[in-house]
Amino acid sequence: MIDVKHLSKAFGDNLVLDNIDQHIYPGEKVVIIGPSGSGKSTFLRCLNLLETPTAGTITFDGAVVTDPKADIDKIRQQMGMVFQHFNLFPNMTVRKNITLAPVRTKLMGQAEADDTATALLKRVGLEEKADAYPAQLSGGQKQRIAIVRALAMKPKLMLFDEPTSALDPEMVGEVLEVMKELAQDGMTMVVVTHEMGFAREVGSRVLFMDEGHVMEEGKPEDIFSRPQNPRLQEFLSKVLH
Amino acid sequence: MDPTALYESFKALQNPNFFQDAYMQFYKAWFAEDRWLTYFKGLSTTLYVTVIALAIGVVLGVLVATVRTAHDQQRPGRHNPFLGIVNAVCRVYVTIIRGTPMMVQLMIMGFAVFATSREKTLVGALTLGINSGAYVAEIIRGGLMSLDPGQMEAGRSLGLGYLDTMRFVVIPQAFKAILPSLGNEFIVLLKDTSLISVVSGKEIVYFARAIVTKTYEPMAPYLITAAMYLVLVLIFSWLQGKLERRLRQSDRR
Ligand SMILES: Nc1ncnc2c1ncn2[C@@H]1O[C@H](COP(=O)(O)OP(=O)(O)O)[C@@H](O)[C@H]1O
Ligand SMILES: [Mg+2]
Repeated sequence: MIDVKHLSKAFGDNLVLDNIDQHIYPGEKVVIIGPSGSGKSTFLRCLNLLETPTAGTITFDGAVVTDPKADIDKIRQQMGMVFQHFNLFPNMTVRKNITLAPVRTKLMGQAEADDTATALLKRVGLEEKADAYPAQLSGGQKQRIAIVRALAMKPKLMLFDEPTSALDPEMVGEVLEVMKELAQDGMTMVVVTHEMGFAREVGSRVLFMDEGHVMEEGKPEDIFSRPQNPRLQEFLSKVLH
Repeated sequence: MDPTALYESFKALQNPNFFQDAYMQFYKAWFAEDRWLTYFKGLSTTLYVTVIALAIGVVLGVLVATVRTAHDQQRPGRHNPFLGIVNAVCRVYVTIIRGTPMMVQLMIMGFAVFATSREKTLVGALTLGINSGAYVAEIIRGGLMSLDPGQMEAGRSLGLGYLDTMRFVVIPQAFKAILPSLGNEFIVLLKDTSLISVVSGKEIVYFARAIVTKTYEPMAPYLITAAMYLVLVLIFSWLQGKLERRLRQSDRR
């Protein structure tokens, strides 16, 4: 579904991603773990071109994302992204947050978009918040709505960048629950997270990133029970204890 | 009591006290020869010049801010050469206007560029508008830049185009954020209209000065001028406060 070849990204002299090759298959749930500053966010943001790669090619469903002539808006419509800090639009109601993109990109009419919003909000248990403004919501509610907002575009792939890191601990569960349901529904997902329980339970493949490289990858049970790379062993011993 | 009769009675005094003297000065600056009418003529010019200058300033400011922001937000490796040239022109404009005194700009426009024009009030309004545009542009640009970049990223990640994201997400939030600075700029503009009298623009100061050349008593005409500006600014600040309170209500926290 996504093919990444020789992907490098530098900020000035700082080489953040160093020649990464990856392939993500339809239906996969790829979980990316690794220490802070290792390039996880940058990797995710290169996939939908929020960061422009310094070198390499990314292909999504046959479209070359990194081609300067690519219709990046069209490509992004099929890749949802959920941010650590939600990034809901504070000047709009929840309903408008959800329906703005589908309507403006002519994916749906307003009526259909409103119905979609209602149905999705019901799925995450927030239908009564449709007319609220983001400022009136808790962090967990905001993140569930951010997920719904991305889903309203009917994406083929969802990118999550530490979706629970900015949440109070008691709200982490409700967001992970929504993500698990999404995984069960067969969505292709790439998730950067520090929630090792989620990685173990939901991930079909785990990537361990460090200093711009994918140092180790494999099935969750292998990564967590039989880590090979010493950096991974060190990382796991820190986060699991 | 009739103002003229009061004036005549004070004038007959040999040693008028401070208040009687002040009243006589005020009388000459205001009631005599119906001079108060000319202040209001000047006041209407002030409002007219402010409105024209504001219109020019907002249009110029929005254009320049749009060009500069669009230029700065281009994707790396995707530089539009035409935008580069327009952006350079905009930067020179802002630098020159902000780096030179308003008074000098007025003199250049009034005595050099439009030396033969007889519409000096209009020349003054145009100069003020061009001046204000540079400041408005920087205010708008600051407002756009100060917004969390995550807002633009969220819009774009949903597949919305740059213009749609600006229109529905960035600009409405930036507008609310810059409203106080825009209001201040408007007040500065309103007060700066007084400067157009140096190129014979016929606003309040121009008429006050004409009265001084007749009475040789500068205190009262200029105090009256100051009071008129103060009242205008107070009225405007009050309106601005109302608007800001209304916008804040829509936050509905
Ligand atoms: N916009 C940017 N400009 C400059 N450096 C950046 C930028 N974004 C990230 N970096 C740098 O790239 C490195 C990797 O960052 P990031 O991908 O956010 O790591 P992670 O998400 O794994 O914590 C860090 O050293 C960070 O300082
Ligand atoms: Mg990160």
